Amino acid sequence: MTTTADIEAMIARMALGDRAAFSSLYAATSAKLFGLCLRVLNNRAEAEDALQEVFVKIWRNASRYQVNGLSPMTWLITVTRNHCIDRVRARKAATGDMEEAADLADAAPGPEAQAIAASEKGRIDDCLSQLEPDRADAVRRAYLEGDTYDELATRYRVPLNTIRTWLRRSLIKLRECLSS
Amino acid sequence: MTDPTDLTGPEEAEALAAEYALGLLTPPEARAFEDLLAVDPSFREAYARWTEDFASLAETVPEVAPPRDLQARIEADLFPAAAPARQGWLQRLGLLPAMAAGLAAAVAVLVVLNLNILGPQAPSFVPGYRAEVAAADRSLIVAAAFDPASGALRIDRQAGAAPSGRVLQLWVIAGDQPPQSLGVLPDTAKTDITVPQALQAAVKDGTLAISEEPPGGSPTGLPTGAVLATGKVTAL
Repeated sequence: MTTTADIEAMIARMALGDRAAFSSLYAATSAKLFGLCLRVLNNRAEAEDALQEVFVKIWRNASRYQVNGLSPMTWLITVTRNHCIDRVRARKAATGDMEEAADLADAAPGPEAQAIAASEKGRIDDCLSQLEPDRADAVRRAYLEGDTYDELATRYRVPLNTIRTWLRRSLIKLRECLSS
Repeated sequence: MTDPTDLTGPEEAEALAAEYALGLLTPPEARAFEDLLAVDPSFREAYARWTEDFASLAETVPEVAPPRDLQARIEADLFPAAAPARQGWLQRLGLLPAMAAGLAAAVAVLVVLNLNILGPQAPSFVPGYRAEVAAADRSLIVAAAFDPASGALRIDRQAGAAPSGRVLQLWVIAGDQPPQSLGVLPDTAKTDITVPQALQAAVKDGTLAISEEPPGGSPTGLPTGAVLATGKVTAL
């Protein structure tokens, strides 16, 4: 069983160029991160390329992890998710299906960010279930499929401003639930 | 996109942080939010909280083992036939083209000679191990030699320096152990460090690394700043 502390130690050693730590981290996390790539990209060859790029990124940015205030799995998941979403969007932009979107950051809020205690695992699912189903679905789509407001507006057949207003209100409700 | 600012104060900050984490902002909006992140810790906290919470959505995604050869492909990409430290040393001496495998013994002599002129003459210093601790772009190069008899680690900073207001801290990593500090490097290029007994085995068979840290060194016992340079220790 690999603990949070183990993963933190692996990343700390990777930051110092320790290749054995890279192998350990790969063994401990690659199945989870590959599953996420497959879920977001829905294409095996692309998911393999993305996972390769993600681990290169993780190796190169390992020294940034220690100051970014996130728990280690969150950092790895966010780097992976954001990289895959950028790929999905680049694919859509290339086929003219989408306007330009901002590249997602590598999840580094900054050196002074406090370590945040994550809401208990499972809470986000509980809290999403308290939203109307299509709104919970929209949040999941935005996170796991990279849907933009344009795409969500089309999917739910509502004007752009309306979708943004109701999604923002849903996010506030979600925060209230997660913080309670 | 017009901004439906029906939210106020903290709610607006929470909504923006969530939209940023999800990637729902337009490029100009995202840049504006990043400006806020840079100056306002409450935005950073809100963003970090959302990042943690959204990441738990990924916990429900089934794990899938990647293809067996993928790790090898990634490592080939990351560590392309990494030049051994000794080769870098010779390249800088301009001797590489003349080198052949059979000359290894002569190389050792050259390296020893070179190390002996590194620092203050200390006849008792007999290097048995060395490392070139260098940045990938060679903006920082530190030669290190270790005398196992005396426990002295001789340091010669040949290129680069600590960023303004920061110090360079030397670390050793052995096997699966977390980095252990060998101390903060002085401003002078050359110095001898006495390696504590407990760390001598690690120095002989480990990796040296240099990070930049606040004055006085890392407050946590682990590197907190950027790792600027690394190098594997090799026996002479």
